[in-house]
Amino acid sequence: MMIPVRCFTCGKPIGSYYYKFVERVKRGEDPERVLDDLGLKRYCCRRMIISHVDLIDEVIKFSRKG
Amino acid sequence: MKIEVLQRNDLELVFKVEGLKTGYANALRRIMISEVPVLAIDEVIIHKNSSVMYDEILALRLGLIPIKTDLERFVFQEECDCKGRGCPLCQVSLTLNKRGPGVVYSGDFISEDKEIVPVDDQIPIVKLGEGQEIELEALARLGRGKEHAKWQATNSCSYKNVPLIGIDRESCDLCGDCVERCPKKILEIRDEKLIVKDVLKCTLCKECSEACELDAIIPFHDKESFIFKVESTGSLEPEVIVIKASEILEEKAEEFLRELKAAIEGTGV
Repeated sequence: MMIPVRCFTCGKPIGSYYYKFVERVKRGEDPERVLDDLGLKRYCCRRMIISHVDLIDEVIKFSRKG
Repeated sequence: MKIEVLQRNDLELVFKVEGLKTGYANALRRIMISEVPVLAIDEVIIHKNSSVMYDEILALRLGLIPIKTDLERFVFQEECDCKGRGCPLCQVSLTLNKRGPGVVYSGDFISEDKEIVPVDDQIPIVKLGEGQEIELEALARLGRGKEHAKWQATNSCSYKNVPLIGIDRESCDLCGDCVERCPKKILEIRDEKLIVKDVLKCTLCKECSEACELDAIIPFHDKESFIFKVESTGSLEPEVIVIKASEILEEKAEEFLRELKAAIEGTGV
């Protein structure tokens, strides 16, 4: 639904990188270069960002009773 | 024992230790991972949550946010004088109130303590739609990584033996095969001589010795020297993690000695 706060494997906090990554890739930058630039060295952290699908926009139109 | 710091920044510390046995190095590594205490959100009181995320998932996400920790100021709640009721010495309260539309970030937390705040204020917690609202209070407490991963002070914490590369200069014919095969590109032929540029980067993959038909190059390691790499989540400085881990190891050894002495005296032998 939302990007996980930490990498599943190593525990590095990666949540804050997702929106930055999406924005820069949309602007036409090379995803590999962006990941390097953000400081994601290990492939466990890199896959968290690359493979994430932000599905919350699909369900956000429904509300729970508060 | 000799220690040399190779690399150091806000989140990472790389250091070399000479004259250490594997058992000791591993004990230190395991303590750094599972026993160095840090603050993390442990209890969440949800007053209002009309977002699409269930309370439990929301609370889990809040728990995983790393929080800046000052180990001098806090004690474990079980060991606190307040007997677990909660006081400024053992817990910090953070409140979060936000109304949609928009993304709630970790930076939206209002802490009762100015120094105890999330490490990164850009971590998305939940996205709110039109009219959706969250209102909650979170209590951060000290804990250990062995209880829950949210209290783990390190991300990646590892050691490796110091690599060494043995070259037999008499049989080496400078064919250059090993220079090409090395995945870390640390070998070079300079002035009619095979040299190693940065031996610490070697991963001991043995590609070079497989490439060499004359068996003139063999990578091996020093069994009593280690390179430690400690990466912090940001809650504590990496050097604080190493110092604290050493102190915990010392305490454990002292406790063992005390108990052993008492046990021997008790038997009257």
